[in-house]
Amino acid sequence: MTKLLTPPTLLTRILLAALMLTAVMLACSLLGTEHISLKKALEPSAPGVVNPDYEIFFRVRLPRIILAAIVGAALACSGAVLQALLRNPLADPYILGISSGAGLGAIIAITIFSELNWTLWGRSPIAFSAFVGALATVGLVWTVARLTGKSHVTHLLLAGVVVNAFFSAMIMFLTSIANSSQVQRTIFWLMGNIIEEDPLVLWTSGGFVLAGIFALFFISPQLNALSFSEVDAKAMGINTAATQTIAFVLAALITAVAVSLSGLVGFAGLIVPHGVRLVFGPDHRQLLPLSALIGAIFLVAADTLARIVVAPAQLPVGVVTALIGGPFFLVLLVRYSRRIDWLAK
Amino acid sequence: MNIIEAKNLTFSYTDKPLVADLTFSVPAGSFVAIAGPNGVGKTTLLNLLSASLKPQSGSIILDGKGIQSFSTAMLARKIAVVRQEFIPPFGFSVIQTVLMARTPYYNRLGFETPDDKEIAVNALKATDIADLAERQLAQISGGERQRVFIARALAQKTPILLLDEPTSFLDLRHQVKIYDLLKKMQIEEKKTVIAITHDINLATQYCDNVLLLAQGARGYQGTPNDVFSTETIGKVYSVSGFSGAVRTQKFFLPLGQYARDYRPT
Repeated sequence: MTKLLTPPTLLTRILLAALMLTAVMLACSLLGTEHISLKKALEPSAPGVVNPDYEIFFRVRLPRIILAAIVGAALACSGAVLQALLRNPLADPYILGISSGAGLGAIIAITIFSELNWTLWGRSPIAFSAFVGALATVGLVWTVARLTGKSHVTHLLLAGVVVNAFFSAMIMFLTSIANSSQVQRTIFWLMGNIIEEDPLVLWTSGGFVLAGIFALFFISPQLNALSFSEVDAKAMGINTAATQTIAFVLAALITAVAVSLSGLVGFAGLIVPHGVRLVFGPDHRQLLPLSALIGAIFLVAADTLARIVVAPAQLPVGVVTALIGGPFFLVLLVRYSRRIDWLAK
Repeated sequence: MNIIEAKNLTFSYTDKPLVADLTFSVPAGSFVAIAGPNGVGKTTLLNLLSASLKPQSGSIILDGKGIQSFSTAMLARKIAVVRQEFIPPFGFSVIQTVLMARTPYYNRLGFETPDDKEIAVNALKATDIADLAERQLAQISGGERQRVFIARALAQKTPILLLDEPTSFLDLRHQVKIYDLLKKMQIEEKKTVIAITHDINLATQYCDNVLLLAQGARGYQGTPNDVFSTETIGKVYSVSGFSGAVRTQKFFLPLGQYARDYRPT
């Protein structure tokens, strides 16, 4: 009598979305300023002869597209998790200060340690600094909220807002004393920009994000109950403290990975979970995996637009996502704030 | 046999105790109303009974064991709590909401078993909302939503139901329907029902015992007819009014000074 989610349905939908993602990635890798053919790219070339189609396809476009997919999946999944944890449809992966923490980390690396030239596992000092900044900020916000005691969620949000504001001020301070090339790099970073990375980076961060999303799936029934109310979830026998901690840590980790790869790509983590919820409903067992896959599709498509729309120049992908996401967010804001009084809960 | 025994419970948010040295017991299978004026600590008492708050002194014995010795999971097998209804931020359906009560029993993949589904469907039938199963919580009325939360508590399959003002904001028919439902659970499922309420007249008609909390006093305990005397009500709620009897049970109608039938005493 009821249309409840079953494992076969879920698996079918995940496979279909994965198939769609593959198709979009393939299609997008053929788009660009240089016209290439897949057939030629896959042709074996004689030793010593450079096959330009192969080089463009495998060394330029595909890594970038895979990177966009990783970032999109991480942001959308973590956005869905934070919306559940904070019981706030307007939450996104950056709401607890990750963005400004990572931004501050990045700008410190760009301005103060600009002479550093090493890479570790294919990552630059900027990426590391942003990653550390992101996690340190979430840790700080989490600790502050814990110290305030009761009504944890409201205090998390408030602490996040305050820390965001303070770190943004520090970012502005550092930007104002930086030289013009550093400012240019900072701005591109803050807008969210995807560039080609080393294959090693793709493997490590891709594996990391995938593992995080996989682990989050196993606490999704608990997230369903938590997205209602913490006391209710606890009264139903759910270990709310453990669920919250695991969810926050995993969401923060995959967001920090995404941010260290791409800078601050906005809106993907906010609008993708909403889109998925609108079509498939709010059940997190389905929402998390589908948000990840559709987030990947969304960002691959957005980054392809960013590559080709003003070719041969390129836009930062964050500009494209913000142009699509901004109006969408306003519609959401009007739709939800009418009936949700989340601060009171 | 008493399923709950509270001894010398004291709890305070400030220096002044809100719940002060309260001792009472709840017989297994009884229907108990907790009444009292606003701010007297009814919801705090409910939070103590559901172990979401710890008393500063005193103890609660649940089924022969101290309530603090129960794990979250064990406690959820004993007590189901229905708080005041609200609209959750995401569009969960009625059946999804009720199934949440089964979360600790899901299989390893995080899906409900056929047993869980049957229990949830039965809870929907018991609360008379089976036809609403696919509707979203935001699309049904407050009375129906209250039933959903009660159904979710029933799906927890606990011997004790704890409810915080289950009939507030409901119209007359829905108030009576909720009380009938709770009474049915008491009789048919042998549940112990503890409900906070402001409606002393309905409580008199349905409940076995009343715990009437009073500001700065020990409170009153006993059968509704004994506790809800005009004198006691007047003292506890600082209100006068008209009292009478329907057939076997008393009722009380509060009257303020501009009410048509008000007579100064």
